[in-house]
Amino acid sequence: MTELALTGFLGLSAALVGIGIFGILTRRNFILLLISVEIAMNAAILNFVYFAAFPSGTHGLSGQAITVVLIGFAATEVAVGLAIVLALNRLKGTINVARATELKL
Amino acid sequence: MVLGVLIAFGEMLSPGTYTNVQITWLHLPPAPGPFPNGFSLVMGTLVDPISSLMLVVVTVVGFLVMLYSIGYMHSDRGLPRYYAEMSLFLAAMTGLVLANNLLEFFLFWELVGVCSYFLIGFYYEKPSAASAAKEAFLVTRIGDVLFLLGIFLYFSTYATAGPDGGWAANGFVFAHNSVPFLPLPGANTTTLTIAGLLILGGAAGKSAQFPLHVWLPDAMEGPTTVSALIHAATMVAAGVYLLAVASVFLGFTPTDQLAIVAVGGFTAFFAATMAVVHPDIKRVIAYSTISQLGYMVLAIGAGFAMVGLYHLFTHAFFKALLFLAAGSVIHAVGTQDLFRMGGLKKHMRLTAAAFAIGGLALAGIPPFAGFWSKDDILASVYSQLGTHPLYWPFFVLAFSAVFLTAYYIFRAWFLAFSGDGPRDPTLPAAHEGPWVMQVPLVVLSAFAVVAGLFVFVPGFQHLLVQGTVLGGIPPTYPATDLALSSISVALGLGGIGLAWTLWGNGRVFSLAETSPVQPLRRLLLNRYYFKAGYDAIGLRAVYPFARATDFVDRFVIDGTVRGLERMFGAGSDRLRSIQSGLVSDYAAYVVAGLLALFVLLLIVGPYLLGRFGGG
Repeated sequence: MTELALTGFLGLSAALVGIGIFGILTRRNFILLLISVEIAMNAAILNFVYFAAFPSGTHGLSGQAITVVLIGFAATEVAVGLAIVLALNRLKGTINVARATELKL
Repeated sequence: MVLGVLIAFGEMLSPGTYTNVQITWLHLPPAPGPFPNGFSLVMGTLVDPISSLMLVVVTVVGFLVMLYSIGYMHSDRGLPRYYAEMSLFLAAMTGLVLANNLLEFFLFWELVGVCSYFLIGFYYEKPSAASAAKEAFLVTRIGDVLFLLGIFLYFSTYATAGPDGGWAANGFVFAHNSVPFLPLPGANTTTLTIAGLLILGGAAGKSAQFPLHVWLPDAMEGPTTVSALIHAATMVAAGVYLLAVASVFLGFTPTDQLAIVAVGGFTAFFAATMAVVHPDIKRVIAYSTISQLGYMVLAIGAGFAMVGLYHLFTHAFFKALLFLAAGSVIHAVGTQDLFRMGGLKKHMRLTAAAFAIGGLALAGIPPFAGFWSKDDILASVYSQLGTHPLYWPFFVLAFSAVFLTAYYIFRAWFLAFSGDGPRDPTLPAAHEGPWVMQVPLVVLSAFAVVAGLFVFVPGFQHLLVQGTVLGGIPPTYPATDLALSSISVALGLGGIGLAWTLWGNGRVFSLAETSPVQPLRRLLLNRYYFKAGYDAIGLRAVYPFARATDFVDRFVIDGTVRGLERMFGAGSDRLRSIQSGLVSDYAAYVVAGLLALFVLLLIVGPYLLGRFGGG
């Protein structure tokens, strides 16, 4: 693959981070918020995959290994996040994060 | 009391014994600085000839006054407070007498001062009493500051002098292993003179010597028992005691001696003049106290510390007697105004006799106590007249004060006790107090008669002489000068005679309004305008200064602190509002922080590196 292709892939990652952050900042629905976090995180995972492949064969399998670990992390995170969604729903009757202001002192 | 007398007897039997018991409170090891050999703070008791004499005075007079208080104060409110403060005072006074070093001395000195403040202000609901207490405290405070400065000067001067690593390393005690540490040669004379003058300032504050005398007459606002114990017999004598201790253990330079003689001699006369016109029975006695303290200071200045203390000893008895007799009168008729009393001797024979004995002792009529000690003072100063020409005027002043003393005290006696009846018919019928008030009068009367004769007891005389040896003064007891004594007795009798002519038998001598001495009388009644002057100084100079410092404190110092506090308060209020609790807000802050990091790392960092060169 060429340098040009790398630039394109990195551009994709940047776009995904941007979409994720935009979602985090604008969404009020907790589930959509979680999805946005996942999108941003996937951008980071993608980066590991690219750099494991460029230049090919010189870095062994560490990039791929980290990718797998990170996907596992993401799954755990979503599990915790969904548990919070359930608890929030039970407490407030809604999953709108604008209603959850208990972090305030 | 019994213990005090026993200790004194022991001291008489073996004069020159020093019993010193002490514990070290704090010890600093040798280190470079003003005290190269280390520094100790010591608490201890020292029984020596001087303190044993004072111990008798404090315990005996203290006991009698406490006994008298039972009768005098029986109907007062706040009795627990009264007895608590009196007991604290007696404890502090005993501690002061027995202190074995200057710091401990100062500690108890302050304690008796604060007790005096409490007890003058005992009737604190009376504005005059409250302000008198404040005045006494503040004026003596001036003396205390001087005294403390004097202590510091002595400490720094004598720090390394003496055996065993020097005075500082041994805790500044007066005597160690029966050897007095001081005075030691080799110190800078100027420094010692200044230190001595500062000590004199402290003593003048406590003993109400000119020019710090103003507080004592006002201190008469307290109960009469307090005046008798604190402001006649013991606390005010602490200043004299300090001078005696200082002259024996620390030593005074000739300049200091002259200053002490000047203060004492002048005060003796000056205070006596004010007593001549005053209408208040207690204040007349108070002025007389100042005057007598002046005599003691005079004797110490002339180098005869023990003669001064001897007068202190006799004076304590007859002055306490006078005060308690006056208290009896006040207790009976409910006023202190001499011009409203009269003819009291019919109803109060014992009190009249006691007051007369006290008066005779004060006036220096033999064989009463005051004669012997006052005569010794005059004789001792007379014997020193050759040492300095400037002793002369003060000797003359003190000598003429004998006449005034006899006059004013018998003026008070005649006004109160002689005549047919009270000049103010509204006064209640006089009566003697209960036995607890009469017993102290009788005992003190006995002392006032015989205390002077103690000097003929060999042990007692030994005590007096032994005390003075330490100061390097030859242990010759001043020989009684017969001519001098006759003159002073004649002056005393003359004073009594004049008092009888003017005031005897219920006569009231009134000065014509046009009389040329009228301005003098007004001057004396207004206490030479000293109090007014001090008030003016206080109002004009000290008060604005106090206001200025208060302003600085309140607005500059407090203002800075409060401004800082307000700044942080407001800042945190603002900061708190961004803590909305909304997750998305927090996420936004995270993103903003991230962006800021990017800007910093990618734009500002390279720019700075390019500008100043990376390294």
